[in-house]
Amino acid sequence: MDKNVQEERFTEMIKFTPPLYKQRYQFIKDLVWKYKPKKVADLGCADCTLLWMLKFCSCIEVLAGLDICENVMKEKMHRLSPLPGDYLQPAERSLTVTLHHGSVAHKDPCMLGFDLITCIELIEHLEEPELEKFPEVVFGFMAPAMVVISTPNSEFNPLLPGVTPFRHPDHKFEWNRAEFQSWALNIARSYDYSVEFTGVGPPPTGMEEVGFCTQIGVFIRKYSQTKSLFNKKLLRYKSVIMMGFFYVFLYVVKVFKAVYPSLKDEKYLQIAVVSEVVFTAQVIKRNLLDHLHSEHEEYSDGPVEIKSKSQHSENCVSEELAVEKCMEPSVSGNVVYIPLTKIFSFPKVNQLCGTFEKLYKLIADKVTLSSDGSAMVVDIEQEYEEEEN
Amino acid sequence: MTGRARARARGRPRGQEAAPPSVGAVSVKFQISAGFQEMSLGDRGGRRRDFHDLGVNTRQAIEHVRESKTGSSGAMIRLSTNYFRLTSRPQWALYQYHVDYNPQMEARRLRSALLFQHEELIGRTHAFDGTILFLPKKLGNKVTEVFSRTRNGEDVKLTITLTNELPPTSPTCLQFYNIIFRRLLKIMNLQQIGRNYYNPSDPISIPNHRLMVWPGFTTSILQYEKSIMLCTDVSHKVLRSETVLDFMYNLYNQVEEQRFRDICTKELIGLIVLTKYNNKTYRVDDIDWDANPKCTFRKADGSEISYIDYYKMQYNQDITDLNQPVLVSQPRRKRGSLMPGPAVLIPELCYLTGLTEKMRNDFNMMKDLSVHTRLTPEQRQREVGRLIDYIQKDDSVQRELRDWGLSFDSNLLSFTGRVVQAEKIHQAGRVFDYNPHFADWSKETRGAPLINAKPLDNWLLIYTRRNYDVANALLQNLFKVTPSMGIRMNKAVMIEVDDRTEAYLRVLQQNITSDTNIVVCLLSSSRKDKYDAIKKYLCTDCPIPSQCVTARTLSKPQSIMAIATKIALQMNCKMGGELWSVEIPLKQLMVVGIDCYHDTVSGKRSIAGFVANLNQGMTRWFSRCVLQDRGQELVDGLKACLQTALRDWFKWNKYLPSRVMVYRDGVGDGQLKTLVNYEVPQLLDCLRSVGKDYNPRLTVIVVKKRISTRFFFQSGGRPQNPPPGTVVDVEVTRPEWYDFFIVSQAVKSGCVAPTHYNVIYDSSGLKPDHVQRLTYKLCHMYYNWSGVIRVPAPCQYAHKLAFLVGQSIHKEPNLLLSDRLYYL
Repeated sequence: MDKNVQEERFTEMIKFTPPLYKQRYQFIKDLVWKYKPKKVADLGCADCTLLWMLKFCSCIEVLAGLDICENVMKEKMHRLSPLPGDYLQPAERSLTVTLHHGSVAHKDPCMLGFDLITCIELIEHLEEPELEKFPEVVFGFMAPAMVVISTPNSEFNPLLPGVTPFRHPDHKFEWNRAEFQSWALNIARSYDYSVEFTGVGPPPTGMEEVGFCTQIGVFIRKYSQTKSLFNKKLLRYKSVIMMGFFYVFLYVVKVFKAVYPSLKDEKYLQIAVVSEVVFTAQVIKRNLLDHLHSEHEEYSDGPVEIKSKSQHSENCVSEELAVEKCMEPSVSGNVVYIPLTKIFSFPKVNQLCGTFEKLYKLIADKVTLSSDGSAMVVDIEQEYEEEEN
Repeated sequence: MTGRARARARGRPRGQEAAPPSVGAVSVKFQISAGFQEMSLGDRGGRRRDFHDLGVNTRQAIEHVRESKTGSSGAMIRLSTNYFRLTSRPQWALYQYHVDYNPQMEARRLRSALLFQHEELIGRTHAFDGTILFLPKKLGNKVTEVFSRTRNGEDVKLTITLTNELPPTSPTCLQFYNIIFRRLLKIMNLQQIGRNYYNPSDPISIPNHRLMVWPGFTTSILQYEKSIMLCTDVSHKVLRSETVLDFMYNLYNQVEEQRFRDICTKELIGLIVLTKYNNKTYRVDDIDWDANPKCTFRKADGSEISYIDYYKMQYNQDITDLNQPVLVSQPRRKRGSLMPGPAVLIPELCYLTGLTEKMRNDFNMMKDLSVHTRLTPEQRQREVGRLIDYIQKDDSVQRELRDWGLSFDSNLLSFTGRVVQAEKIHQAGRVFDYNPHFADWSKETRGAPLINAKPLDNWLLIYTRRNYDVANALLQNLFKVTPSMGIRMNKAVMIEVDDRTEAYLRVLQQNITSDTNIVVCLLSSSRKDKYDAIKKYLCTDCPIPSQCVTARTLSKPQSIMAIATKIALQMNCKMGGELWSVEIPLKQLMVVGIDCYHDTVSGKRSIAGFVANLNQGMTRWFSRCVLQDRGQELVDGLKACLQTALRDWFKWNKYLPSRVMVYRDGVGDGQLKTLVNYEVPQLLDCLRSVGKDYNPRLTVIVVKKRISTRFFFQSGGRPQNPPPGTVVDVEVTRPEWYDFFIVSQAVKSGCVAPTHYNVIYDSSGLKPDHVQRLTYKLCHMYYNWSGVIRVPAPCQYAHKLAFLVGQSIHKEPNLLLSDRLYYL
């Protein structure tokens, strides 16, 4: 029978909403929400869809993907690059995304130090020898705080008539719940993890005994890995490389790296602060001038407004010292003085800089400051032209 | 079975980047690799817009330029340009194969994997989209059959069939180069926005205006006269570091509440916004003030979801302002066979890009911006060189190129151009030479009598009380400057008016008589609504020339006389006067200029200005415009214009022109085909319909200002702008066209932009040299500028007219004005 027809029947009979693959990804997203891991790696990341979804999770600072097929990974990897918007308003958190081409059966130091490692529909694609090495690599070597493994539940297969023997031609096996669970429990025992079983894709009513379409094991490390242990491990592998065992690199090669702009980077922080400060200053200046202007309109009309305005303001700021001490901006001649304390009081500026000293440091060479450095100086002349042109 | 169903049926899903929520149909596109998809669509023709107008071969139909399209006059000049030759190995070809699987394999991943089991056969370098395979080398046999085994032991027969052997110049190859080049730009970490690539890591921030400028490049690889070349130019993307919502709040604080929605709509519609969560740009077509982020829409799977939840779930984007309206964007292109519904966007999640009309008119902003974006020839050459350097130095880029057997020249292309001689300016019996370096004769002709000076016997000067002194100053200075021009002038009827639009209009209604020559309005600010109302009234209801002057321009005593001179000249043109001319050797020649203005605000109208000379000296012009609603064909209106222009010409000259030369501006990238296939035949039809024996010669020239080509003149070891009058008709022109470039104007700062002329139809039999010279002569005839301009004068007039109508009048001006340059 034609394969497509079989599949069509399959989808007619059992239809998951949202589709099963989305449910699996959502499951991971929910876990990330709950546990807020900072470093997440996806083994068998394929076309990077899960990674792409995870990059929006603001708790994550390091994302990594590993796949054996470089072409599939490369196809859409550029969607993991920062977007124009990420540069326009850099985020608070830092984020680095890397992709590696290689096998899950090899220990590579680039896979060390993760909080969460996901293996979505991965193990059933592994050949016997790879599957054997897999627990030692993931649980023994990488040893993240949490591992999620999903795989088809073969008990569900009779409900999918087109599936003979497996759901995908590349699958090497499909396990029933007992097989998966004994494999998982065995691993958990050997590597000091706890494991809980769940799944996505619930069975239709009346068929509950077959279990979820996709079975999932969530492993949580019982011991806490100390930094020294981690470092020791890293050192050991680094020394292996230094001793000339370049074979490691033959197996795992970095194919992509993207560093997201972040406010943690001084360069972007400065751009953000200076923009905010200059813009805020413009708003203050405009309001101030509008205010003076409207006061003035009442009793004078004519093109002399600028001259009289500055006279007017000079009168009220006769003592410069007093002005700069206070929080209020003031006009003097052709410039407006805006105290930095006033600028610092703006919520966005305050939030970006944290401390007044930081604010001063970031803007000192980027904007004009008064001679004693307590206020920002903004030209009026420019504003006048701006309005008239 | 749909793509999605197939994906669902498989163990591993095919990832899809979620489309923005759209109302109505949502089609799920099965993604083939973006590059190839583009290519195969291009091959089929139609769907993808061909921005380079490939395959429009107009030269072969023009018999007298088949052999040579080059001119001859002028002095030789050594030039270089921002083009780099793409070289390939000798006998290079791209081999296109089709790959079949038996049994059928549908997953592309699997198809690729099965094919690449035979890497020793096909080699490391390949491009494969699941069906079509491109290789830089030829396989031993035309048809190769190989067997692969899937991991679960299934044997699959692959049949690799050679379908095409593409020479370096084939269109598919050109697209292929462009795809490979885009790969290179991505490898270099440049961000694609629209058609160009930008470097986001070193932005130029202009915080005063909340602007962010990204330096970048526009690139294209095309077949030019003798070789395939990469043309690359520096491009700057202006982005705004504020969201549409920020913008709305700012505006709200600046305008009265009841006008807010109206002004906001005007400001935003037509702008391009960039979404925070994906790299997509949308044009704002509407603002739905009744909707807000709490509204729901139907997802592809049929479930209802609110925008808040959707963006939270999909992109983890929090929407904080729950009362903001939403933006609506109509899709431009079909997705598959479905026309998707309009996309709904949340202002808080969209960044503004580009500049609004208001910003463009903001002198200070443009000044601040130009500091960063206006590059001298030297800077520009250096920046362009930097890209090519990068290509030469980056290892992975070089490897990719080497694997395909391609490479780029590391030097700018250089060749010889010509500088045609400067024209002589004729003005009422006197002849002036101008400094060819500056291409400006305002000094030389100052105080000289005009060809035809119209008297100011009876005219109005309207001003507000506050500007009484300025009005008087203007009057006194006009009295000083007009006599030497030969303009007879009486004192104006001076009328004081309240500074309100209605007051101006009332004064106009009450004071204009049939004898009034012209109305001068002194405006206290450059508020557009007042200007619009005055212009509308005086161009339609009460057709009379008018001159608006902003009081501020007259405020500086040291420059008032120079400004009064300019105003006098401008007023004279508006009343039908003539200023100067150049010698035009061709007789009985009608020159037509056409340009378009696209009104983005009021209902997507397009306005075409149509201008044709009425006399031999090209000093008097007939002007009309066409207002065309969406979906209407522009050419119907143009035909009517041409008919009236011929009728008026006959009235003036008592004979019909024997040659008609059309300069067509306002043609977008990729519209050439339509012009050739549709507009030219209609123009011919129109000429034929005039009379049985009437058979004038027609030339149609497409004028293009927005091009990437730049020329550098190496002088004293530094690149300079080439002098005005530089003509280029070799190397960087296209072999299938009868085209040339002219640098006609001089610029004080930055890089001069040449204008591209493409003769798409020509039954004149004129030599290319004559067409080039005539074109350059016409660039001298724009009366609002005593110098040479970028385009032939009729194009600039047409532009001015269309702009005035599109911006201010919004309907066809009264035809009584059509023999004067009232819109200057």
